[in-house]
Amino acid sequence: MASNRRGVGLSAFSNAAISSDQYARHGQQLRTTHADALANQLSVFQAALHNFSLTHAKDIRSNPSFRAEFARMCNAIGVDPLAGSNVKQSGGAGAGGKAGSVWAKMLGSSVNDFYFELAVRVVEVCRETRSENGGMIAVNEVQKRIGKGRQGLVGGGMDVTEDDILRSIESLEPLGGMFKVQVLGGGRFIRSVPKELNPDQSKVLEVIQVLGYVSISLLRDNLGWERARAIAVMDDLVADSLVWVDTQADETEFWSPASMHDGA
Amino acid sequence: MAATLPDTTPSSLPTTALSPLHPTSTPPTSTFHPPTHASFPPFYTLQPNLTTRARQLDLWSTHVTTYCAHHRIFRLNLSNPPLNLFSNPSIHRSLKTSDIRVVLDHMSRPENGPRIEWISAGAKGEQSSSCYVYWKTPAEWAEAIYGWVEATGQKGAVLTVYELREGDAVREREWREMDEELLRKALGVLVKRGKAQVFGQEENAGVKFF
Repeated sequence: MASNRRGVGLSAFSNAAISSDQYARHGQQLRTTHADALANQLSVFQAALHNFSLTHAKDIRSNPSFRAEFARMCNAIGVDPLAGSNVKQSGGAGAGGKAGSVWAKMLGSSVNDFYFELAVRVVEVCRETRSENGGMIAVNEVQKRIGKGRQGLVGGGMDVTEDDILRSIESLEPLGGMFKVQVLGGGRFIRSVPKELNPDQSKVLEVIQVLGYVSISLLRDNLGWERARAIAVMDDLVADSLVWVDTQADETEFWSPASMHDGA
Repeated sequence: MAATLPDTTPSSLPTTALSPLHPTSTPPTSTFHPPTHASFPPFYTLQPNLTTRARQLDLWSTHVTTYCAHHRIFRLNLSNPPLNLFSNPSIHRSLKTSDIRVVLDHMSRPENGPRIEWISAGAKGEQSSSCYVYWKTPAEWAEAIYGWVEATGQKGAVLTVYELREGDAVREREWREMDEELLRKALGVLVKRGKAQVFGQEENAGVKFF
């Protein structure tokens, strides 16, 4: 009301200053009440999530489908189960253990730990089989091996889904891009060697995924490649130990080590 | 509660009735399950890539030792290898004789066990064609035999080599009917450690354990 009237004389200037000051103060007040309300809501939500995770911690760890649902819910409300790893890095330099992730604080770090633990297993499996498959392993093969547990240990198996494995690989991101997930011929593979496949090589691996093996003439007939091109690609793949050679067929065949454990 | 009791008794009966039959009714040859990679065709071609080949040789080494352990084979003869060890008829693949030699050479290296030992050929310069397979090394055999002697209170007694191989007391033991030369090697380990003494010749040799 006061602002509508312009007023007269010098006091008009101070009037304007006062009213703008009052606006600012009012705005400030609104902001703080908003912030308070939000903080209140957040703490309520956090408490609820905390309670939820405490009552269901066992399920989250042991039941794969429950874990997947839980992770999906977290995604939906904008909480990343793995964001913790980054928070830890930036805050942990000086404060030590105190600066845990939001996630770890809320869930008692059990979900976080679960994925880190799983990531360690994934890395183990990749390293163990590298001499056999040249560092390319199918996600479901990893899943199978983790389900079986470490060799020589009883009861070390973990019931995990492909989704869990993919998540755990994401948690390795801060360590540098050593582990990448690659889609080949409808199957997902974990590549644990720092190497990019060129289009020809990916194409061949895709074909192997479908047929189980390839030969030079097969590549020529199906992809229309020149003989020299096919030979060059196969030589590369053999050199990278991504395929195994079988010379006892009518024509030399190249097999994917992934099918070695399927019991063809 | 009353319903569960009759359930458990019949189920436990067949198992106890079957178990004594089991060793006699099924010959050991029928139950060997080859590893899945034994039906992987490239397994029978020596891999050109050296990293892959190293892995392949390790797989072969495990395969040969588990096969021999299962069939209780102590000595391999290259001119007459056991059935289906180096070949898989269902996929028409077999390891070439020269490649078998590579596998065995790999196994004979000290850093790999050694899991086999070539038996020197009769004539000089001739390639040997047979080997011992150490699914247990002579030292491990020595340990097992000595453990048994100790456990059965036969220290200080004299046993014949025949008794050790075919006596009634060792019928349940892993080394029954073991290759005689190999048994002597194992005993040699014990002699070296001062835990046994071998005397006498060939057939009627005796062993005294300390």
